[in-house]
Amino acid sequence: MARSRLYSIIAIASLAGFAWITYLHSREFNISEPSVCMIKSITSIPCPSCGSSRSVMMIMDGNYLTALKINPLGFLISIMLLVCPVWVLVDVVMKRSSFLRFYHTIESIIRIKWVSIMMITLIATNWIWNIMKGI
Amino acid sequence: MEAQKVDFFMMTNAKFFEGQYLMWLREQLLKLDDSRWPEVQSQQFKDPTTLLIVSLLGGNLGIDRFMLGDTGIGIAKLLTCGGLGIWSIIDWFMIMPATREKNLTTMQRVLSGSQYGPVATV
Repeated sequence: MARSRLYSIIAIASLAGFAWITYLHSREFNISEPSVCMIKSITSIPCPSCGSSRSVMMIMDGNYLTALKINPLGFLISIMLLVCPVWVLVDVVMKRSSFLRFYHTIESIIRIKWVSIMMITLIATNWIWNIMKGI
Repeated sequence: MEAQKVDFFMMTNAKFFEGQYLMWLREQLLKLDDSRWPEVQSQQFKDPTTLLIVSLLGGNLGIDRFMLGDTGIGIAKLLTCGGLGIWSIIDWFMIMPATREKNLTTMQRVLSGSQYGPVATV
């Protein structure tokens, strides 16, 4: 993955994420609204990351336990939303590629067989939990 | 390499690459030493059509990106419900060019002679 491409993807994704969170935070959540998640809209079964927006909002309000109960992935997303844009911005200003190297390191770690099997199991467990909760 | 071999390779594998690189690829293969033919012949390319089907069915979970080897991007797609559904729709159109680009990178690695060395540029 080229540096400029990765950095622009991160920038767009972070901006979209912040815009989405700001929009959701500006109004009350209503469960009967149509979901943005395609899987949930079509099959009415939640996907592994359904509920992560609510989880991130709970983290913003300081309700960490509720956030964990809604979707633990919210913590991962919050950390990524906080760290990635700042890191990328510092990299661009300082003309370095430390984030690119970090990204490649993480990718090669995840490609190790037992790590990937463990992560798939975790995501699958979270998915089953999501379906049971009826997020 | 012999023109006959190269043309055979181009005929069987043309669908894996972008049209504008086909002539460049043919020239590079003609320049390549004959001893490298088995290596070139044994390359596995990803089929853009298969990736499109995977993207249509499992794009929301980022499975298409995992298949392509873009693990980081795949995780980003998985964690965000396919980028709130927008990214997965964009990828329905982007996944075929991305696959062909990936195949070209694989081919460039072979042409430059090393698995991890500097790649030949277009």
